Amino acid sequence: MNETVLETEKLDKVYKLGGRSIRALSDVNLQVKKGDFVSIMGPSGSGKTTLLNILGCLDKPTSGRIILDDVDVTTVPEKELYKIRRYKIGFVFQTFNLLPYLSAIENVELPMEGTGKSKEEKLKRARELLKLVGLAERENHKPLRLSAGEQQRVAIARALANGPSILLADEPTGNLDAKTKYEIVRLLGKLNTEHGTTIVMVTHDNAIASHARRVLFINDGKMLSKEKMGLFAKEKLTCPACGREIQITHVFCPHCGRKLSN
Amino acid sequence: MRTLLVVIALGFSIAIMISIPAGIMANQESMQTLSENLTSTITTMQEEINKTATLIECSTTPNQGMQTFRPGGGFFGGVNETFINESIVDEIYSINVSGVRVVKDVIPSLEKSSSENITETITTPFGNRTVYRSAYTIIGVCLNSSIISSYSILPTNITAGENLSEGDSCYVLISSNLTEYFEAGVGDTITINGELFTVKGIFESSSQTRTVYMNISDAQRITGLTGEISKLYVYVVDSSYATQVADVIKAAYPELYVTSYQDRLENLQQMQSMYTQTLSNAESSIAQAQSTATQVIIIAVAATSLIVLFVMLYSVRERTKEIGILKAIGFSNWNVMSQFMLEGVLIGLIGGATGVLIGSTIAPFLSSFLIPQINLFGGTQRPQASVQMPSTNIVGLQSYTTVTLSPELILLALGAAVLLGAIGSLYPAWRASKISPIEALRYE
Repeated sequence: MNETVLETEKLDKVYKLGGRSIRALSDVNLQVKKGDFVSIMGPSGSGKTTLLNILGCLDKPTSGRIILDDVDVTTVPEKELYKIRRYKIGFVFQTFNLLPYLSAIENVELPMEGTGKSKEEKLKRARELLKLVGLAERENHKPLRLSAGEQQRVAIARALANGPSILLADEPTGNLDAKTKYEIVRLLGKLNTEHGTTIVMVTHDNAIASHARRVLFINDGKMLSKEKMGLFAKEKLTCPACGREIQITHVFCPHCGRKLSN
Repeated sequence: MRTLLVVIALGFSIAIMISIPAGIMANQESMQTLSENLTSTITTMQEEINKTATLIECSTTPNQGMQTFRPGGGFFGGVNETFINESIVDEIYSINVSGVRVVKDVIPSLEKSSSENITETITTPFGNRTVYRSAYTIIGVCLNSSIISSYSILPTNITAGENLSEGDSCYVLISSNLTEYFEAGVGDTITINGELFTVKGIFESSSQTRTVYMNISDAQRITGLTGEISKLYVYVVDSSYATQVADVIKAAYPELYVTSYQDRLENLQQMQSMYTQTLSNAESSIAQAQSTATQVIIIAVAATSLIVLFVMLYSVRERTKEIGILKAIGFSNWNVMSQFMLEGVLIGLIGGATGVLIGSTIAPFLSSFLIPQINLFGGTQRPQASVQMPSTNIVGLQSYTTVTLSPELILLALGAAVLLGAIGSLYPAWRASKISPIEALRYE
């Protein structure tokens, strides 16, 4: 997994609200290799969703470059961007964003609309994907007749429809209860480990973030550098008391319960 | 629900669009017929006016009407009939006014009561009386082609067979009330004064008169009145000479009863102006109806595309989030635009179909409601013709029930509906395609 799928260089995003300008992203440099599973954590308003939207070509950076599969997407004209979104990126939303009047399988087929695939090919691919996310027998259900977790599975299947280079998930567990949260994040983990899907996930839930191979932190639009993070810069941390693995956001050790110092 | 409303609204617009032209077409046809009939009537009347104005009638007997019987049980049948030698034709023809010949045509005719009589029982103030009268009147007319074609000297309302034509000899035209008396129909042979005649045609008599028309030379021969005539129709070249010439004839032939037709002229002119008025009413109604229809159609077209426009704009707004999702998962601008265009076309198609259904139901009512009634003669009164008028068929415009929707019109309406759906959704679809995905996704 040395091949770089996604790389950003000096990404800046400035919003102009009235006369004031708000810096949402500042000098973000990020590198995602093929087969990686990256969690981006940060408090609300830290710019993590903005970053993901920019990575997903839904929004444009004020400056900086995004290289996706060796293509600088910031130079792709607006009219051509849909091809990047269609073939290179799979997007999973916090609110699932399924079309309510389409069945599960139709929702999964939707991104293949206009790709020149035949009806049978689309159906076959959609069935495969629904089977992959464990919903093979519910393909004709409308989203409202599916549970929240099932809806998110459909959304993940949809995101994978055109075999994207990278799967971007924006708070994929944000609207789910504790049990289904883990099912979804495990599904993402399975996709990553068994199918080599490259994933970038934004979350504010450290328990969810811990399922990723790497966790990155963002605050005030800045990625926390390794130097600043100091001790926490290491990707795997251990509890000083019991020696077992802990996460940077833990205040108490989940294993021995000892209060952790910053 | 909203789509249903659109479909109904669209349906009504389309219904208007198809029923108006259907009504117009139906009306235009009857209008056209009316207009043509009126025009030909007016032309014929003008000819009649010209002829009447220039006509002087000269008769050896007082005018018709009182001819049938006389009170007191006596009978009138050739007793008082007098005749005049036909040399008078040339004499009148050569009348000059200040050295200019002013008589255009002199048409002689011979009218003679038949020698056979019939008895009739009639009711009088003194009780029922049996009267004798002549069985019929023989009218010998000048069967000359130029005269037949220029003047209506023969009856026009033939019910069987044919009218007399130039040079017909030994043929007769009989009034319908004589078929029983002669026991004869078209093609049968009848005997008059010992001579055989073939019935060439039968005409519907306007009154109780029983008449046999034949060639004047036949009439003169069988009545033994060779060279004699009883009536002259004198036509002068210009109506201004009519009175003058009538006076000359009166002075020269005191035995003749001379009538000119100045009073009838006025009546005719009055009638003609009435017809002219009706014609112009009809024509302006056609024009008015057409402009009304055009306006209504323009309004319907505008309304239809506006309905589609606003509904689609609303739909785009309402579905902003959906557009955002579609774009986020890789729909191109064109994909999004064609989605909405397709939707507009579908709405148009369904609306059009509804419109055809509604239209075929309401078209007859709607068109009669929207198209002004035409005032024919200001009511039911029709002018009474005091002179013989050419028969005319004036088509009434009251019948609007014949409105039919042709397949072409239905196809046209469906096409228009689809086109309007596409036009109306063009701008909303374009707007939808331009929506930024990130803003659309935030939209709730």
